[in-house]
Amino acid sequence: MTDHNDPMAEIKASFFIECEELLESLQDGLQEMDEGSEDPETINVVFRAVHSIKGGAGAFGLEELVRFAHRYETVLDEVRAHRLEADSEAHKLFFAAADHLSDLVRASRDDLPMPVAESDRLLTSLEALLGDVSDEEVRPEDFEPLGVSLTLDLPDLGDLSDVEEAPEAEEPPADSWIVRFKPEAELFDTGNEPQMLIRNLCALGEATVTCDLTDLPPLESLAPETPYLSWTITLQSTCDEAEIREVFEFVDGLCELSIQRPGAALESESLPPLGPSVTAEIARPPEPTAAPTAATDPAPEPPEPAAAAAPPFPDDTAEAAPRKSKDGGAKSVVRVDLERIERLVNLVGELVINQAMLSQSLGEAGLSPHSDAMNGLEEFQRLTRDIQDSVMMIRAQPVKSLFQRMSRIVRESSAAVKKDVRLITEGESTEVDKTVIERLADPLTHMIRNSVDHGLESPEDRGKAGKPPQGTVHLTAAHRSGRVVIEVSDDGGGIDRKKVHQVAITKGLVPPDLPLSDNEIDNLLFLPGFSTASQVSSLSGRGVGMDVVKTSIQSLGGRISIHSERGRGTTFSISLPLTLAVLDGMVVNVAGETLVLPLNVVVETLSLGPEDVQMLRPGAFVVRVRGGFVPLYDLGVMLGYRPARDRHEGAIVLLISLDDGSRAALVIDAIHDQRQVVIKGLDDSFYRAPGIAAATILGDGQIALILDPADIIAAEGPLRGAELALTQGV
Amino acid sequence: MALRDQLRIMVVDDMSTSRGVITQALDGFGIRNVASTSDGPSALKALASAPVHLVISDFNMPAMDGLQLLQHLRAGPKTKGVGFILITGKADKESIEQGRKLGMNNFLKKPFDPNDLRNCIEAVVGRL
Repeated sequence: MTDHNDPMAEIKASFFIECEELLESLQDGLQEMDEGSEDPETINVVFRAVHSIKGGAGAFGLEELVRFAHRYETVLDEVRAHRLEADSEAHKLFFAAADHLSDLVRASRDDLPMPVAESDRLLTSLEALLGDVSDEEVRPEDFEPLGVSLTLDLPDLGDLSDVEEAPEAEEPPADSWIVRFKPEAELFDTGNEPQMLIRNLCALGEATVTCDLTDLPPLESLAPETPYLSWTITLQSTCDEAEIREVFEFVDGLCELSIQRPGAALESESLPPLGPSVTAEIARPPEPTAAPTAATDPAPEPPEPAAAAAPPFPDDTAEAAPRKSKDGGAKSVVRVDLERIERLVNLVGELVINQAMLSQSLGEAGLSPHSDAMNGLEEFQRLTRDIQDSVMMIRAQPVKSLFQRMSRIVRESSAAVKKDVRLITEGESTEVDKTVIERLADPLTHMIRNSVDHGLESPEDRGKAGKPPQGTVHLTAAHRSGRVVIEVSDDGGGIDRKKVHQVAITKGLVPPDLPLSDNEIDNLLFLPGFSTASQVSSLSGRGVGMDVVKTSIQSLGGRISIHSERGRGTTFSISLPLTLAVLDGMVVNVAGETLVLPLNVVVETLSLGPEDVQMLRPGAFVVRVRGGFVPLYDLGVMLGYRPARDRHEGAIVLLISLDDGSRAALVIDAIHDQRQVVIKGLDDSFYRAPGIAAATILGDGQIALILDPADIIAAEGPLRGAELALTQGV
Repeated sequence: MALRDQLRIMVVDDMSTSRGVITQALDGFGIRNVASTSDGPSALKALASAPVHLVISDFNMPAMDGLQLLQHLRAGPKTKGVGFILITGKADKESIEQGRKLGMNNFLKKPFDPNDLRNCIEAVVGRL
């Protein structure tokens, strides 16, 4: 096998992919069991997942994986056989074992050191569950292999493919029958004639008749009145069983008769019971194949076409067969190298830019909007967008795998802080860009830990608050107005705002005399340096604060917001763009610079009148919008393009709405247009300026910065809002 | 012509990894006439039109396990004589005894190396 190194490596790679799928169904199955599923197929699936992983691991000599999977499997087998009753404690252990199994799979895949100590710890617990189960196996030497001499006796095995019969080029369709007919001596005594019966049978449809000569003795020992022959007739006919029985009506009880559908072989009671006799039978010399049989067939039927060529040997039938998806529907799957998709995504990005440039130059050429060229361009634009959406869909994956990882985090973290926590997930099928999913794992892990550790109260405190001892963490995903929103919420005590405010003041993050709104206090959690050593517990204390979470979400073009209610719980909400590659943007001009804003935050555009703006203090303005006040920000000032102005009359303002429900008005100079832009990430060598998300190339080849309005406003600090809150109170 | 050139084998296993491993091993012995399927019913279907000399089947599979497949094979007039090797992760007495009764020709316990597979096959069909 040394010369097959490559294929084996390939198989090994696909083994690990297969493992991921198996681990997923293992998790699902365990979840169902834990929820009280009585379906025997559930434990079967769970067992098979572990079993299959063990089997594959064995083939690649992954010993630690085999060692662990083997014992785990044994315990599951006991549950499957109802010899072991698994309670919720056992389920917990099964979950832990599944988590560990996935660690072992990943460690094996990445050639990392094996967590052997953890295997031992879990195995001890599993063994304890097991008691003493006899694990006695049959050794290969105790089994007498049964030779299949028949194949060897075939004189011309080499021509097998030509000689071996294949009467039907394809499997007989559903409207066919297999009739086995073995006359008894009485049948002949009563003057019946098998030939007639078979001929009548053939009248029902197209039939293939095979005569079984195996019982035929040599001529010298042949008893003329003893029936030795039996026939198998494959009948292609839409007739029902009764019509076939009718043919044999007069020989009822004078023959052995079995009528069945192809493939239904065993369920049928008409078959002789299988037992040692069968064993004896196959040890015999070769079963004559049908072609030679047909040639010597004494039945008067025309012999089947022996010359019919054997069909081509089906190659890897299963691979071509559609894969069954979980919900039972057939869906075929192609595995594609991610690099190829990346390339396609990039090309489509270029196409979008190219199309934009073309639109622009045709527009500049002064073509009428009703000209053929412009109409064609519109069509081109639509197609480009469709292609783009389709390409993005290739990259999209359900968040399910991510959520499953989080259920593990909940199990581990709740055990670490000795809280009873239930994770409820929703929207697992929500699809998000693959890169986003990968890069969400860390921040989400931290948020979940945070919820379990800080969000939920201790069981005692919950009791005092009149809550059930078991805390709940909700993890949900949903598509909302062109973005993906992922929420982590707990039913804990909510944020202790007094304490948070105090901490922030102590740490010098906010001036002590500044009044802050509830929402602003909550948002202090995201400030760098807020996370303190005194908060570090065994769990979330990894030196990572929520500010890091916020930064990672922002680097994905996402935003995070927080909502908390004292005594009721806290919700962290992450809003992410569907894709990292394109954006529907509004192209604007500010102080001579071309900038792009995400279109989905823009609620409306206004032109400011003299009455609309009120000054809170020099440099701080609010805009009256339909009776309410919205803080006004001059983009040109915020980005350092120009000095602050005192008057804004006549300015164009974009009213934007942020995920946390807050609104703001951004002063700009002009709106160019709305268009799709391709997001080009800024190189790491650029200093990360607050409010700048990325860049893009416009149709005219110009480079424009893409802004993140929420980030711009956040960079101004929460203080503006506080002042606004005061204003609104007036 | 050596037996390995003529032998036709069907590999049945729900895991593509295992199918791949076995097929690779067979390829290493010079056996090229190998078909594979992921479950018993499709194996039976394929065998109806393209018979083989030997079926190498996993035990633990959804829908139809290896021994049920064997039972179906033995009940089919065209397949009752086919050689049958069961590959199993756990060679417990009960299953092996059941296999023996059904006319299993040999079994192989996982994990195995290509040499084990070769020995197992040769015990059934003779020298490759």
